[in-house]
Amino acid sequence: MRRGIGSRIGYGAAGLGGLLVVMEAASRLGPVDERFLPPASEILGALAAELATAELWIALGETMWGWALGLAIAFCAAVAAGMVIGSVPGLRAATHSTVEFLRPIPSVALIPLATLLFGASLGSTLLLVVYAAFWQVLIQVLYGVADVDAVAHDTARSYGLSAWSRIRHLVWPTALPYVMTGLRLAAAVAFILAITAELVIGSPGLGLSIQAAQSAGAVTTMYALVVLAGLVGVAVNVGVRALERRVLAWHPSVRGEAPV
Amino acid sequence: MLEVSGLRKVYEGRRVEALREVTFQVDAGELVCVIGPSGCGKTTLLRCVAGLLPPTAGSVKVAGAAVTGPPPRMAVVFQEYGRSLFPWMTVRQNVELPLKEKRMPAGRRGELVAGSLAAVGLADVADAHPWQLSGGMQQRVAIARAVAYEPQVLLMDEPFAAVDAQTRADLEDLVLALWRDTGVTTLFVTHDIDEAVYLGQRVIVLSGSPTVVMEDLKIDLPPERDQLTTRSLPRFADLRGHLYAQIQRARGDR
Amino acid sequence: MNGTGRAVTRVLTVAGVPALLVIVWQLYSAASQNFYVPAPGRVAQAFAETWFSERILDDVLPSLARLLAGYALAVAAGVGAGVAIGLSPRLRAAAEPVLEFFRAIPPPVLVPLIMLLAGIGDGMKVLVIASGCVWPILLNTVEGVRALDEVLSDTCRMYGVRGLSRLRHLVLRGASPQIMAGLRQALSIGIILMVISEMFASSSGLGFTIVLFQRGFQIAEMWSGILLLGLLGYVLALLFRRLERRVLSWHSGRGVGRA
Repeated sequence: MRRGIGSRIGYGAAGLGGLLVVMEAASRLGPVDERFLPPASEILGALAAELATAELWIALGETMWGWALGLAIAFCAAVAAGMVIGSVPGLRAATHSTVEFLRPIPSVALIPLATLLFGASLGSTLLLVVYAAFWQVLIQVLYGVADVDAVAHDTARSYGLSAWSRIRHLVWPTALPYVMTGLRLAAAVAFILAITAELVIGSPGLGLSIQAAQSAGAVTTMYALVVLAGLVGVAVNVGVRALERRVLAWHPSVRGEAPV
Repeated sequence: MLEVSGLRKVYEGRRVEALREVTFQVDAGELVCVIGPSGCGKTTLLRCVAGLLPPTAGSVKVAGAAVTGPPPRMAVVFQEYGRSLFPWMTVRQNVELPLKEKRMPAGRRGELVAGSLAAVGLADVADAHPWQLSGGMQQRVAIARAVAYEPQVLLMDEPFAAVDAQTRADLEDLVLALWRDTGVTTLFVTHDIDEAVYLGQRVIVLSGSPTVVMEDLKIDLPPERDQLTTRSLPRFADLRGHLYAQIQRARGDR
Repeated sequence: MNGTGRAVTRVLTVAGVPALLVIVWQLYSAASQNFYVPAPGRVAQAFAETWFSERILDDVLPSLARLLAGYALAVAAGVGAGVAIGLSPRLRAAAEPVLEFFRAIPPPVLVPLIMLLAGIGDGMKVLVIASGCVWPILLNTVEGVRALDEVLSDTCRMYGVRGLSRLRHLVLRGASPQIMAGLRQALSIGIILMVISEMFASSSGLGFTIVLFQRGFQIAEMWSGILLLGLLGYVLALLFRRLERRVLSWHSGRGVGRA
């Protein structure tokens, strides 16, 4: 087994190395113009140089702040809304058509509105991030609440649990795996939208730096920043997956033990 | 028809010797059962015979030709009926697909499919999907597919291990009836001693791992088998008791 | 409850909340005089005037055509490469980190990159859409092909089902639940990229037009554009769900059968 993992890492490293070599060769040997695709070594060099500047870290901090704040707002709002909609009889059916209509609306459609209301500021980023992330979490919370066993529900009622303790001890634990799935999806979407707002509207952050590099014709820097955006994206994915595992590690559904 | 000689299989990486030295043969038209204690490499043996797994040493020959990959005129019925049928195809399409691959003309194909589905008693569910049927019926579909393929050799890998007792008795009689009608050479792997004695003309007993053939036992029961009368024959009890003792010995050897 | 009573309840359930929202919107816009929130009637009028005109031909249809072209390219490349990578464990091990990285790049940053390589024409936009959509399709296809049932695979080998026929009857069908999941993610990314690529550098298209309205402070028209994009997203999601239900009828049916 251990040998299997070792060779997988080996293959993975070979794949990454191969990509870098191909990129390097493509521009050095000429099939692709160096102005359009700089050699991989230069991109990595530019990335290292960028990482040594304070501006980059400030921009990155702004992106992550917009991401985290927007995600947190969307998460809390969606969990609260999902719990209410899922727990009040009839509300689920009454809101179904509205949710199903609003959910697929691409959040980039709100870019002009964000520009008018907030201009190139954190507000624009938040509007897009919150709208996009909200639906991802809400849908999962609704699935989760619907998953609560009807018998368990009746039992809880017959023992006279209040609405609040029903939610705390029955609905929330059941829905937790769904909530975490929603958070994982929302985190990725929120990062995309944070970068988008910066790139298109010009809110401060990594996206704006990419836009600036493009306007200035600093191709290598632009590539370096795109690579950085990808690395941050990987970190977001890995981090949220780790969080999900951690939160659900002691969850009854994972441990296979019945609550109560 | 089927010759297995000196078959040895060591799994690389895990360094497990699943089969040490297995030799036996099956004549044309015979129905031979293979039994052994659990974990003795029955499935490994069957996969080697089917050409799905390359042996470490030794050889398998079908009608004189060495097996290097799945032979063209061999069919297998797997234990996992739920996973051996294509869930996105109807019962009819499942049976028909291998025949299409053989480029058989449509007329003949239709006859074979209809005939084999009727033979297993599923003519009226030909347009259902496998997941709409019970486990026993799904395994009937897999058997119909094997029969329609017109194999020289039919391999069955614990095909009834996962169905209930009543269904199991029905399916055993179905296999006997089909074997009698078609005369197909059949190798039937099972962990159930009663089933082996009831079905087989011969029973091959495998030892515990690392596996060799412990005994090649002729089943001298009357050729006509019946769930009630055959199973209550004194000779049936003798054979059963003998095989039971053999399996216990095989287990103790480990 | 009689038939009419049930029908009324159903209409109320479906249309009640949306109607309420429109009423609130109407009251708010009347009371607040907020310049950015025109009355619903005004937006509806702008919608009819703006989009039931040659704009449909000049802006909406070309946008959709580019979306379709880019999406189709991504499907072909993603499923093709995904099947190849999924069928080879070594290739998969080698490609996995690279693919994880490409998937994690926020697709909108591809716009400036691809503008560099392909200019600002239709080709650029199609390429942007394709290169953003391809990753979820590719990764999900790899996952689906990797998880093919071994028994089914052995069955194909035994019965001589190989080559193209194996691809068609086993690989693609077996991986179709995951492939469809990838296609669904790709569709929403595609719509995002369609809009953004037009906002960046363009002289036509939905995204361009909406930004034009915003810069010209034609607020009702801008809202009508947002509404149109919303409708578009909704209709595409609806069509996709139909397609999915058809392609995966065996799959959902099986789930119900087992439950």
